[in-house]
Amino acid sequence: MPLEPFKASASLTLGVELELQLVSPGDFDLCDAANDMLDLLARKPFPGDVKPEMTQSMIEVSTDVFTRYEPLLAQLRAIRDQLIKAGDRLNVGLCGGGTHPFQRWFHQRIFAKPRFHELSALYGYLAKQFTVFGQHVHVGCDNADQALYLLHALNRYLPHFIALSASSPYSQGVDTLFDSARLNSVFAFPLSGRAPFVLHWDEFESGYFAKMEKTGVVKSMKDFYWDIRPKPEYGTIELRVCDTPLTVERAAALACYLQALCRHLLEDHESAPAEDDYLVYNYNRFQACRFGLEGVIVHPRSHESLSLREDILATLRLIDPHAQALECGGALEEIHRVAAYSGNHAWALRRQREVHGSIEGVVDTAVRLFRGEPEALV
Amino acid sequence: MPELSLELLRDIAWPFALILAWVAGEMGHRWLRLPRISCYGIVGFALAAGQAGLLPVTRGGPMALLAYVAFGLILFELGYRINLSWLRANPWIALTSVLESGGSFAATLAVALAFGMTTLPALMLAALSMSTSPAAVLRVANELRSSGQVTERTLHLSALSCGLAVIVFKSVVGYGLLVSIGSVLQALWSSIVVLAISAGLGALFGVVVPGLLRLFGRLERDSTLAFALGVIALTALTEALKFSPLLAALAFGIVARHRRVVLSQAQRNFGALGDMLTVLLFVFVAATIDWRHAAAGAVLALWIMLARIAVKIAASTLLARVSGVTWRKGALTGLALTPLSVFAILLLEQSRHLGLALLDEMTAIMAMVLALEVIGPVITQRALIWAGEAAPQAER
Repeated sequence: MPLEPFKASASLTLGVELELQLVSPGDFDLCDAANDMLDLLARKPFPGDVKPEMTQSMIEVSTDVFTRYEPLLAQLRAIRDQLIKAGDRLNVGLCGGGTHPFQRWFHQRIFAKPRFHELSALYGYLAKQFTVFGQHVHVGCDNADQALYLLHALNRYLPHFIALSASSPYSQGVDTLFDSARLNSVFAFPLSGRAPFVLHWDEFESGYFAKMEKTGVVKSMKDFYWDIRPKPEYGTIELRVCDTPLTVERAAALACYLQALCRHLLEDHESAPAEDDYLVYNYNRFQACRFGLEGVIVHPRSHESLSLREDILATLRLIDPHAQALECGGALEEIHRVAAYSGNHAWALRRQREVHGSIEGVVDTAVRLFRGEPEALV
Repeated sequence: MPELSLELLRDIAWPFALILAWVAGEMGHRWLRLPRISCYGIVGFALAAGQAGLLPVTRGGPMALLAYVAFGLILFELGYRINLSWLRANPWIALTSVLESGGSFAATLAVALAFGMTTLPALMLAALSMSTSPAAVLRVANELRSSGQVTERTLHLSALSCGLAVIVFKSVVGYGLLVSIGSVLQALWSSIVVLAISAGLGALFGVVVPGLLRLFGRLERDSTLAFALGVIALTALTEALKFSPLLAALAFGIVARHRRVVLSQAQRNFGALGDMLTVLLFVFVAATIDWRHAAAGAVLALWIMLARIAVKIAASTLLARVSGVTWRKGALTGLALTPLSVFAILLLEQSRHLGLALLDEMTAIMAMVLALEVIGPVITQRALIWAGEAAPQAER
């Protein structure tokens, strides 16, 4: 199947997808409730969309297409409220977080859908270990070359999104010492990582993609698990490195940080992306996963070491005019709060472990935070 | 030395009966896909004094206490899985419980009276038939690693029906004492006071034990042991004081859960300790049944069982849609509520000391327990599998 044509969409429009955890309020472990939740949610219209994910203990929601922060946040809240209402009727808790802190991957059940069973057969235990939860942000592009330009221009900023969204310090019951342990599960897949350095769609389509397709390794764009990938059928690029944050407010803020950053990249013309930018890419990504905002990254051009936290704060100042133009000042305030003093959600979860003395207490807090009870953070 | 060997036989009878039951459980589970507890029951019944005669007649004593502990652990775990805020968020669940257990009470009473039973035993029988065996549903759900709405609802409805059944049963006992002895004081004592103190003791343990754990700051590692010891102590205490160990253990679990100290997955069933005591519990209970009693009550039991299943399915299906699941899952929940077992016998055992020697009169309950202890778990197992909530065979 050849690559489908890139369907142009309005530049800088936004769409957000969140993979959420379904947990049992009884023991705070993941529970296989996707079927029952979807049955109940199907009874009335849902704001945005809701669909099954790889395993029975996950559910994926997505927003409509938005241009502004406030309506995006409003819909995310409406989605959350409807999910919580359904969860309350079925004794199912919902929460964000890139990993479930203590679930056992071998207990997860693959959702009964042909594609998921195929993937499960192909990847074996990797598929179940893929019980991780991410936020994907789509940014609209008015042409395919713009999409590839943005995709590569963003390479230097990718660690920002990892560090800001990181909410998966625990995996299989232990502290991994990573702020985002989730991305380690993603890296295990053979087609993960970065997209090849191609800046023109024709070249990408007839060159890289056609060759890859001929090898038989891939059939569609879906088979690539890149950090950022073009999504021709939507006319977007899709940022996939974010852990699902613990609140929808944080999710909206991350999306709009990306939106403002893209506007900056399109209008202020930083120096064009180059293949050599990727020399430091994996190192920087590791720093962000491992240390979060405390990470130290290397600038791809100047080769100087930068504090990730400082780099984010500097970027916020740089893109402020674009945030004003896009009316997403509120979102950037939240990002500023995270970077400057409140810390990311991985940090918050570690603190909850200390306060509660048990890892179940961490999940309890995550469930309450998702419900919109900020006082759960003690 | 004939005396010696007889004594020897009596001493080793129980442990060997347990081994036999365990072997039967594993074989039945592997080859016939039966729930293990069904097999334990069959072995216990077959070896009982009235049948093969291997097991001595036990009335009270250490075996009964152990059975209480076993049941206490199960009720504690069930209480621990109960989420009271769910009942607030979805009152239809509580209403389903009232409807299905109230309906079971009414249906059983009607059938028993129609069979010419006198009022008091009929009322007691009706009270006992309200409950769904928590031991059976919890064991089967854990064995299947089942998860979903039918599982969740069956567990909650089972806990609720047990609570309701104890309350109604004790009230009937109180009423019985009032009628037979005429003492208001003793009637009140045997019902309301016993219930209140039992639940109160359980709640007290539910506060104290998590409090101790918190004090030691080792919530994750030690909670299973501490809770198991708590259940044993609570059972011994309430049993010695002639209160209700069952209600106390349930209250202990519910209160402990809402104190937010949590059991982890690995400790389901209280591990090997819980497994061992479950074998003992099911063998013990089935061994109290004499086939002559069971046969005498068989016809009445059959009618009550049919009426009871019909009522439970009807009630659960009726409220399925409004409570948030499909009709089908509602019906399967009702079906999964079939088991009635252990609980009834233990309650009757406990009422013996009151002078209401009922166990021997109520032959129908014997037959019902025998039938439903073996068949009930199989029905629950099927219901959970049909609902698509059991884990795939390879992963159990």
